[in-house]
Amino acid sequence: MTVRDERALRDLVKSDRVHRDFYTSPDVFDLEMERIFARAWLLVGHDSQVPNPGDFVTTTLCRHPVIMSRHRDGRVHVMFNRCSHRGAQICTEPRGNAKRFECPYHGWVYDTDGRHAGAPYPARYADGFLKAGGFDLAAVPRLAIYRGFVFASLGAEGPGLDDFLGPMKSHIDAMVDRAPGGEVEASAGAFRYRFGANWKIQMENQNDLYHPMFTHASTTARDGTQFRRHGAEDDEAGRVRLLKENEALNEQWEELPVGGHRYGHTYMGMFPMNKGQSGPVHERYRAAMEARYGDRAERAMAVRFHNSIFYPQWSIQYLTQHIRLMNPVSVDCTENVIIPLRLKGAPEEMWRAALRSNNNSHSPAGMVMSDDMEVWVRCQNALTSPGNDWVVFARGASEEQADNRGSFEVRGTSEANARHQHRAWLGYMCGEA
Amino acid sequence: MRDEIEKFLFREARLLDERRFEEWMNLFAEDGYYWVPAAPGLEDPYDGVSIFFDDRAVMKTRLQRLDHTRIHSQKPASRTVHTVSNVEIDGDYGAVGEILVRSAVTMLEYRLEKQTAFAGRCRHLLRIAEGGGFEIAWKRVDLINCDGVFETLSVPF
Repeated sequence: MTVRDERALRDLVKSDRVHRDFYTSPDVFDLEMERIFARAWLLVGHDSQVPNPGDFVTTTLCRHPVIMSRHRDGRVHVMFNRCSHRGAQICTEPRGNAKRFECPYHGWVYDTDGRHAGAPYPARYADGFLKAGGFDLAAVPRLAIYRGFVFASLGAEGPGLDDFLGPMKSHIDAMVDRAPGGEVEASAGAFRYRFGANWKIQMENQNDLYHPMFTHASTTARDGTQFRRHGAEDDEAGRVRLLKENEALNEQWEELPVGGHRYGHTYMGMFPMNKGQSGPVHERYRAAMEARYGDRAERAMAVRFHNSIFYPQWSIQYLTQHIRLMNPVSVDCTENVIIPLRLKGAPEEMWRAALRSNNNSHSPAGMVMSDDMEVWVRCQNALTSPGNDWVVFARGASEEQADNRGSFEVRGTSEANARHQHRAWLGYMCGEA
Repeated sequence: MRDEIEKFLFREARLLDERRFEEWMNLFAEDGYYWVPAAPGLEDPYDGVSIFFDDRAVMKTRLQRLDHTRIHSQKPASRTVHTVSNVEIDGDYGAVGEILVRSAVTMLEYRLEKQTAFAGRCRHLLRIAEGGGFEIAWKRVDLINCDGVFETLSVPF
């Protein structure tokens, strides 16, 4: 099969199922890198990871090593971590503060905006050769920042960020507006993990309401309690509460809104298990929010989503307060970065509870993530076998009717969000996006 | 004293290897905690993310889960060997009746055709218990790859 043939691509994605090659074919993966990941806007990180001039972090964007730095003029830059001379990675520290970046190979130096700042012993170059330019660190083709979220595109062509995000902008606002200071901060580091499964398996999982009671059965303890993913606790600072309402929960899944917007973005409503909050800490939070937002405080405080996926590469989880970057490594390997977000100006106790919630559910030992990763790997392993070529996404088939802007919303354990992602995938792969 | 402390640490390691998690948890004081930071040199567990940061309540949830019949990430269960060495005792640290013990720990884990090695520096703050013996006021493990890329972890170090 040549996957560059449009018909072959369309044969992989049916309205209620996808072919196993969708997950296992290296050719499909290579084409995805070209037609999806070099076109969509990808999240590099948050600008609060580099608060001061000279601050930098090294990270991976899709499969490429990049540096995100803040130059002395305050602007954030993202450039490929590759010397313009002989191609060495110029920086391997995970983070730090630098006046300049110096390549270890022959000492070529670069300013923190990527500008080439000199090469040792320049006399042996032809007159004007170095000055003629072209030796700056290659910047990502497109860079844009929205409310501190640093986006890059690996392609010069493609939709602008405003168009790409569309209604999903409000899903970023929904996170950031919960901060009385009007900003979030990525100051607690990150978890990183890798699992042996295709990137799309995770995409399809994150809004899947059909799986929690099975995949995560073990987070229900023997006494029927389940730990709650909660951002702010009542009175006990940082305490992680256990929840006794797990049984009722299963009935309530079907009421939850799930939906999507153009370019394959999808979201899921807030879990019913997370009840309204009260107590002195919450009152302090409310006071801080009212001071900033006045009448709009109540709406800004409301946590409306469990998570939102910005197809194809990152998501926000709201109560747990983190962003998840999902970088494809190969057809059967994906690497995650989980970055907790602090709500600036909110009580310290809320941050402590959110951080602990992240540790408990989303560390490599996390009680939620570990079972998710286990099943994703099991999918990938089994999908290589012949005998059954199709993976079924027929739950709630055809319920989702997109409006004229490409948005839809349905409820509960429908597999509509995965189908929406599949249609967006076809659009990208067939050159329609 | 050294002999008793080493015996305590070796038994702790064996309880984990034999998956006697509840007994392991009961080595901790009621206000005790187990901490594995996800960044080197972290001084306060609220300054950054942690692979484990468990008080007794979280520990109980986590360890009960390890015994759950539907914990998929432990089917089949990990087999582990914890090796504790380089034990150093600092009786001057902390309050009266508390002993800081430094050690090195390695854990080899085998699961699903794959063997993985972990290593770290370990600190136990032990309290001399009322009826004799020790309880763990806190245990901190600094893995050499604490900020690295992990696959699923289930068994404490």
